[in-house]
Amino acid sequence: MPLAGFVQQLGIGALMTIQVAVCAYLLALAIGTMFALATVRPRSLANIVWLPYASIFTGVPSLLVAFLFYYGGSEIVISLMAIVGIKAKVEVTPFAAAVAAIGMVYGAYLADLIRSAIHNVPRGQFEAARVLLIPAPMIWLRVIMPQVLRLALPGMTNMWIVVLKDTALVSLIGLKEIMAYAKLASGVTKEPFIYYLLASAFFLGMTWLTYFVAGNLETWAGQGSRRAKIRGKAHAL
Amino acid sequence: MNANPTFAAASAQPGTTAPAAISITGLNKHYGAFHVLRDINLQVASGEIVVLCGPSGSGKSTLIRCINHLEQHTSGQIHVNGTLLTSRAEDVASVRRQLGMVFQSFNLFPHMTVLDNCTFALRLALKMSAKEAECTAREYLEKVRVIEQAAKFPTQLSGGQQQRVAIARALCLQPRIMLFDEPTSALDPESVGSVLRIMEDLAQTGITMICVTHEMGFARRVADRCVFMEGGQIIEEALAETFFTAPASDRLKNFIDQVL
Amino acid sequence: MHFDMQVAWDSLPKLLAGLGNTFTVLVPVLILGLLFAIPVALGRLKPGARSLPATIYVSVFRGVPSLVLLYLIYSGLPQFPIVRDTFLWTFFSNPYFCAWLGLALTHSGFMAEIIRGALAAIPPGTIEAAQTLGLTPRQILFRLRLPMAARYALKAYQNELLIMVKSTSAVSAITIIDLTAAANTVFDYTYDPFTPLLTAAAIYWCITNAIRLGCSAADRKFNRHLVRQ
Repeated sequence: MPLAGFVQQLGIGALMTIQVAVCAYLLALAIGTMFALATVRPRSLANIVWLPYASIFTGVPSLLVAFLFYYGGSEIVISLMAIVGIKAKVEVTPFAAAVAAIGMVYGAYLADLIRSAIHNVPRGQFEAARVLLIPAPMIWLRVIMPQVLRLALPGMTNMWIVVLKDTALVSLIGLKEIMAYAKLASGVTKEPFIYYLLASAFFLGMTWLTYFVAGNLETWAGQGSRRAKIRGKAHAL
Repeated sequence: MNANPTFAAASAQPGTTAPAAISITGLNKHYGAFHVLRDINLQVASGEIVVLCGPSGSGKSTLIRCINHLEQHTSGQIHVNGTLLTSRAEDVASVRRQLGMVFQSFNLFPHMTVLDNCTFALRLALKMSAKEAECTAREYLEKVRVIEQAAKFPTQLSGGQQQRVAIARALCLQPRIMLFDEPTSALDPESVGSVLRIMEDLAQTGITMICVTHEMGFARRVADRCVFMEGGQIIEEALAETFFTAPASDRLKNFIDQVL
Repeated sequence: MHFDMQVAWDSLPKLLAGLGNTFTVLVPVLILGLLFAIPVALGRLKPGARSLPATIYVSVFRGVPSLVLLYLIYSGLPQFPIVRDTFLWTFFSNPYFCAWLGLALTHSGFMAEIIRGALAAIPPGTIEAAQTLGLTPRQILFRLRLPMAARYALKAYQNELLIMVKSTSAVSAITIIDLTAAANTVFDYTYDPFTPLLTAAAIYWCITNAIRLGCSAADRKFNRHLVRQ
């Protein structure tokens, strides 16, 4: 039977997991949107930065990137600051390393997703807005991006779940989140099964919650568009 | 086209009533509460060309799909060349062996070449050798005049060419009865002509044909008998000439006025 | 940030040994995962409530991180006497067995959805045509539906394959020295974090790109019937 004290610790760990996942996802969203907008045109200059970035960060496990940022992070930051001329001494916490690693890796995936959604907005939308003399920033903000959101939402939901699960893996760099506490409790009580089972329940619960919220979000984002009748659930969760 | 040898024998027996190729009695079909086919009675003699026509939703496609068990009928009986169609696998297989079907959307296998589309069933269902299958396939592809496209993939052909391949594919198994479910409805006007020509050639060979079609010109030229359906029932059935020149029911009169 | 060629060169044997372990875990997982996934995918396609067991399977194994599954199997199961005291112990005490089981279960959850999506994407008319041509359901499944599904699934499979390669880094938690763990051990005694980790990263990068090239070639060969925009 799980001891109340340890379950409470699992709860604290779960909170940390969510914090890391949220921060990492927001970072990924920022990086992804930036790259997507920069590389919308097939032959844009930004590809010089984008292509290597994408190749590296999608070709290497996020755990490895996290180790790199954690053990080598302070040196990286110091060298980067030195280029700009700032003398800094930084300690990279496991939290920061985890968020940075996951954010940069999934930023690459999100960029592809968002760019593909942009390309799927009918060209006529741009043309109609231009013809109505709407200024360019407004076109993007009020006409295009809301439609991009509708198209990208299912993919973004999936990506959130992947980020959440990857946070568990990245805990191996020493982050005190749910997996670490489960391991601790197992070591002390010699009853590992129940604690890992609780950890599983946490992740399953979060996934179901995500799909529930996403369902409502997709309805809100899809206002005004005709829904194709999907028989049964569109996903298996 | 060469006369289908199977049929030369059957139709050369004067004085005997050949068994009906297809015999449908008291057929009903429901989709849940929706009564799609109502008490259908239809006999098709061997070698006969029958055209089923009527407005959309009249049940003509459903009827033809019941004959080869793509849809399961709720009550009534279907006999194909004497075999009763039940839901037992052996009966279904035996019935399907005698039927060839051509679909509105062609339904060619997209990842196989034209030739492979035709030999696929010959090798797997009839257990022919690869060489024999290829020979037969080429023969029929030539008859429908798409032999030059044998090595191409379906997506590389026009709609009319694809449908002709579909006809060849069905004919390769040498069925006694051919079912056509709106074969030209998905084609552009130019292609319609090429497909109808093949079907007219086919009709000359003595094979039994049941066509669901909107091509009334074709029906008038080629059909022996026409059947008008509406609301799941057979409203009128007559020899082709009478059907078009002297329709008995008002509904058929209206339909012909609208269509021709 | 620096890179020491000498250290990189010296550490190569250890890293390659780690790579070997990565593949030792990966290949059986891919095979097992596929084997588990086909019946689950077919189960998902059953109408109504009969698809429930398969749906639950997919929900669970896609929703639980592979690390948790690995811990559950490797640390959690031995807690029970039935595992510890019987012949099962020979299996569950072996970290490779646990890795194969845990990762294969996760992989099969995703593969089942990929296969299901691909099977569902086959135009039903082609299946009807095959039925009217007299093929048996068995022939239709193995000679038509699965080959067609494989073609539809190629892109999704490539993604899943790349993810699986990177997921193998989780096995370092259950004592298997894979490529990532090997890089860490090198770092332990050279006190140089960058060189071994960057070298390992480079090796992963080569593998993922080799897989991408392989899948592109497969796509060109098996999907050449498609009209490209």
